[in-house]
Amino acid sequence: MENIKGIAASPGVAIGPAVLYKPAVLDVQHGKFPPSETDAELLRLKTAYEKSRADLDALEKQIKETLGPDYARVIDAHKTILEDPNFKNSIKSKIQKEHLVAESAVLLALQEISITFDNLTDEFFKERKNDVSDVAKRLITNLTGGARYAMEKAAGPSVLVAHNLLPSDTLNLKDNNFIAFVTDIGGKTSHSAILAQSMEIPAVVGSSVSSKTIKAGDMLIVDGESGAVIVNPDAETLAKYRKIQREIKRSELLLKTINDLPFLTTDGKHVTMMINYDPRLDSKETKKLKTEGLGLLRTEFLFLDRALPPSEEEQFNIYAATAKKFDMRPVHIRLADLGGDKVHSLNLGEYKEELNPFMGLRGVRILLKYPAIMQTQLRAIIRAAAAAPAPVKLIVPMISSLEEVRAVKAVFNDTLRALAAQGVTPKNKIDFGIMVEVPSAAFALDSMLPEVDFVSIGTNDLIQYMIAVDRMNQDVAVLYDPYHPGFIRIINHIVQTCAQKGKSVSICGELASDPEIVPLLIGLGVHTLSTSPRMFLRIKNKLRSVSYDACANLAQAALLMDSSAEIKNLSLSLTTPEGEKTLNENP
Amino acid sequence: MGGDLLYMIKKGLEVKNQMGLHARPAAMLAQTAGKFNSEIKIEKDGVEVNAKSIMGIMMLAAQHGAVLIFTFEGADEAEALKAVEDLFVSGFSEAY
Repeated sequence: MENIKGIAASPGVAIGPAVLYKPAVLDVQHGKFPPSETDAELLRLKTAYEKSRADLDALEKQIKETLGPDYARVIDAHKTILEDPNFKNSIKSKIQKEHLVAESAVLLALQEISITFDNLTDEFFKERKNDVSDVAKRLITNLTGGARYAMEKAAGPSVLVAHNLLPSDTLNLKDNNFIAFVTDIGGKTSHSAILAQSMEIPAVVGSSVSSKTIKAGDMLIVDGESGAVIVNPDAETLAKYRKIQREIKRSELLLKTINDLPFLTTDGKHVTMMINYDPRLDSKETKKLKTEGLGLLRTEFLFLDRALPPSEEEQFNIYAATAKKFDMRPVHIRLADLGGDKVHSLNLGEYKEELNPFMGLRGVRILLKYPAIMQTQLRAIIRAAAAAPAPVKLIVPMISSLEEVRAVKAVFNDTLRALAAQGVTPKNKIDFGIMVEVPSAAFALDSMLPEVDFVSIGTNDLIQYMIAVDRMNQDVAVLYDPYHPGFIRIINHIVQTCAQKGKSVSICGELASDPEIVPLLIGLGVHTLSTSPRMFLRIKNKLRSVSYDACANLAQAALLMDSSAEIKNLSLSLTTPEGEKTLNENP
Repeated sequence: MGGDLLYMIKKGLEVKNQMGLHARPAAMLAQTAGKFNSEIKIEKDGVEVNAKSIMGIMMLAAQHGAVLIFTFEGADEAEALKAVEDLFVSGFSEAY
């Protein structure tokens, strides 16, 4: 058994024998023709161009119908490469001036371009060389009339192992009996990886030497979740992965069976279920999920790796496009929860290194210190709320005092008025919410509630600040414990305080995506959960398999318990009825 | 036309898409530039390429935040500038 580590390019697990990929050999007759036949040779090239155009049109149509228009754009890029004036002129000049036969000219032009691409240092752009050689290959096969993309069909379900795969090869994999692929080179963003994701074929790329060390017929496990390739696994590993395969299948089944069903417990209690959505990671699976809204749009990603904060226009475009994806369902946008280190990188001011960044300048503190960032973001959010039909809601991160709530609200109201004066008014009232993730806010919540419309609990930070534990620190990480009696009590306090004032409370932190603790949270009175897209259906399945009554009893008992072990055991006893099992996230 | 001093616009544009000018935006840029008769060149770090060539554009390996200097030269240069600018402002209509 051998374990090769690569990059997970397309999720899923496949088990099957290896087939080594032999790239179709381009049968190019190098040679020259008599100068008198130049026009005839140019005509041959023209015909090959026309055929290639027709090929790509047909392929584009096929992908549009099977995988959707987003993926068809890969072919659009190929069409543009085909028509590239530099490429075309380079080929033509080799025919006209050097009298090289057309296929030689194409190959030579390709080689010249490949060298330039090889000199690029950026891996992402380097990979685009594949697209160029795919187009050149298409031209050459159309010139020689040779067998096109002669990938052989595998005898049974097999795993394709290749040094590199061209996008057009990838498209034919399923038809040729391949259930997964492994390549030596490539990255997550290569077109082959993107196509594999859309075809739902597990893939591992960038595994450096797979095509040399793996032999034809070797039994392979391709773990598209972690990027591992296991060669000739032992019985135990094989059994483990067969189990994971079954679990993945179960999740897919859930998609088919419970996606359309209501969000109800067995005794008919409704719990609102939304997703934490990241526009950069939108996938086919996420699009299929039937959710009750966007529970948390983190906006920090817009501020990463750049010299200036994102403009109002850029933010507006992203917020509006995202909100439109959720039609009439609520969309919660959180103001950027940035850390003090961004002060310097975004050129806001001089950054003084903080001894304790988690207790330092972050979240609402940074927004109040540099109000221009907040105003720009608020304007973009309000404009998005005026442009999209979805009710947009605002969440302010890292609130620790009533003064902060009032300060942000004043800026928010000013911004609303300023935009209203320009004729921009939200389609729905923008609810004003706060994150409760600092213990002081949890305890002083009753004083803040008159100012806010709703509350969202940030469980990760709340646990961290309550127990005073940094879970990145290996020595103390074990203390990070969501079943801590103190934490259960504070959740109870937040929920009860909100219930008294008639304000809604939701959980959008990691805990909402943990099937083991969700019944306890529901029992404590949390009636809105926002989960990661990946865990959405599993949490929904959990919700649909427990009774609210049992959850409430569980919570009442947990509030009387003294140790986290007791609380955890009690919760687990409730969470495994009717064969409901937790699925392995990361094997 | 190339030597006519009446024509020529120079303009720096910043790449705003998170992923940089990868294949899709590069294709959109080359297609847009290809619609105009003007000569359109892009310069970055001393390298100059033809804006109508997708491969030229990709070879610039322009990442998020990079500033590209465009030169438009020809009778329809103003329209060409407008079209190219629109692409950059819209972030190549990418909603990620």
